[in-house]
Amino acid sequence: MVELTVDGQAVGAEKGKMLLPICLDAGFDIPHLCYNESVRPYGACRLCLVEVRKNGRGRMTTSCTYPVIEGIEVLTQTEKVLRARRLVIELILAMCPGDEEIQEMAREMGVEDVRFEKEEKDCILCGLCGRVCEEVVGANAIHFANKGSNREMIPPFAGEATDCIACGACVTVCPVNVIGMREESDERTIIRWKRTLKMKKCKVCGNYFAPWFQLEKFRQQAGLPTDFFDTCYSCRE
Amino acid sequence: MENLNVYAVRLLTQKEYFAPGHRSCQGCAEALAVRLIAKALGRNAIVVQATGCMEIVASPLPFTSWEVPWIHVAFETAASVASGIEAGLKALMRKGRLPKKRVTVLGMGGDGATNDIGIMALSGALERGHDFVYICTDNEAYMNTGIQRSSGTPFGASTTTSPAGRVIPGQITWKKNMAAIAAAHNIPYVATACPSYPLDLVDKVKKAAGTKGPAYVHILSVCPTGWRSPTEMSIRLGRLAAETGVFPLYEIVNGRYRLTIDFPKLRPIRDYFKYQGRFRHLTDEMTEQIEERVHREYQALKDKCQ
Repeated sequence: MVELTVDGQAVGAEKGKMLLPICLDAGFDIPHLCYNESVRPYGACRLCLVEVRKNGRGRMTTSCTYPVIEGIEVLTQTEKVLRARRLVIELILAMCPGDEEIQEMAREMGVEDVRFEKEEKDCILCGLCGRVCEEVVGANAIHFANKGSNREMIPPFAGEATDCIACGACVTVCPVNVIGMREESDERTIIRWKRTLKMKKCKVCGNYFAPWFQLEKFRQQAGLPTDFFDTCYSCRE
Repeated sequence: MENLNVYAVRLLTQKEYFAPGHRSCQGCAEALAVRLIAKALGRNAIVVQATGCMEIVASPLPFTSWEVPWIHVAFETAASVASGIEAGLKALMRKGRLPKKRVTVLGMGGDGATNDIGIMALSGALERGHDFVYICTDNEAYMNTGIQRSSGTPFGASTTTSPAGRVIPGQITWKKNMAAIAAAHNIPYVATACPSYPLDLVDKVKKAAGTKGPAYVHILSVCPTGWRSPTEMSIRLGRLAAETGVFPLYEIVNGRYRLTIDFPKLRPIRDYFKYQGRFRHLTDEMTEQIEERVHREYQALKDKCQ
């Protein structure tokens, strides 16, 4: 256990934990977009900036990638921090002016207007979908490509994501809801990754319950009998 | 959303706001529902709970399972206390006595506290347009006092005050459609959910919390004790309730209906009844009658979704 102070309040924390979850747990509001506790911290969105003071010297850092140390003093609401966060959200808003979630967040932080040239992107490049696909799902179907201002999250060679099992984890984790999924009769499509998979029909009730490709993968991984996924969970005895 | 339960559930917050160690029965789906609700709302929530199972099991003095501010109020007043808290927060934030931030005020009650005893306070709060969420965790009878019938009990179910026998075949009235009553107030968000579909439930509670104005979520919570069903069947019974059309899962956003989980073909209602002791006495003829009405109501709902 280490002791630190956040905005003047003493907070105890487990050693090695990152600062952002500790502050959130203690009730301090820090905006963030690219953080999810199920995957490793990444520090892409830069919104969770805080000021950390140690031995009389202070510096600004992203709290999601800062492991706590004994005796630090964290300031989450200073003018300097708020100004930096406003700039960050303004840049994100300039990149993706159409995202409602970003617009709402910017409004809450007091940013009305964008001074920079606007782009027409919708993805904020937080990388959550790719990290979830790699670390949680283990499918590695999508990844970042290119560098600098051309960076984008795409399936291999911007074609169909052939390793995608259409589990939908990226759809639920996306902070700006731009991935999108569609289920029509016997097909499920992950729209952004151009991946369409046939759904399996339950032998007993006739409902479609999961994509073939996904079930086949699970069956092989777990060494289940070939007829294991013939029935859905509700019909399985 | 409903079929994404392979990996997507792992991305929910790992922090528990409804701690384990409470005194609910084995196989209680209501405790599961409350846990998911607490996760969906996060720490910026104030919970107002009417008397009922979840109040009893989660707060035996001096313990509590709640890790967010929580207040227990009389049976009929959950909605009115929630609206008072919402008004108080608004006033304090306006005067600068509290920092301005989003705090979800959640009123919660069982089917008894919502459908029967608290309906007047709830109707008032919905009509006044307070920015709060009301969640009814419906286990279809007054379970914690010993399974007395409520207006949420479905037709034909045997309870201690509607015992099946020579005189009556269990409950003789149809289940009150509380979600429709809430929707009749023209509030911005109404939904039905079930903990057997966890992502769907979390999604709906989050949507309800994000709605400006009143929101109502009706959650079917399987109760093995009162339904006389095996404890390990709770999750499956919730799924069967949706798949047979007994408890369709839908949401109404600003008056627009949408079935969140639709089945091309409904399952025979027998599948749902056969695991439950409270329906054991039903004859084939009665089951068919119930099925016919369930299908008719499901079709009517589907027509609204067009």
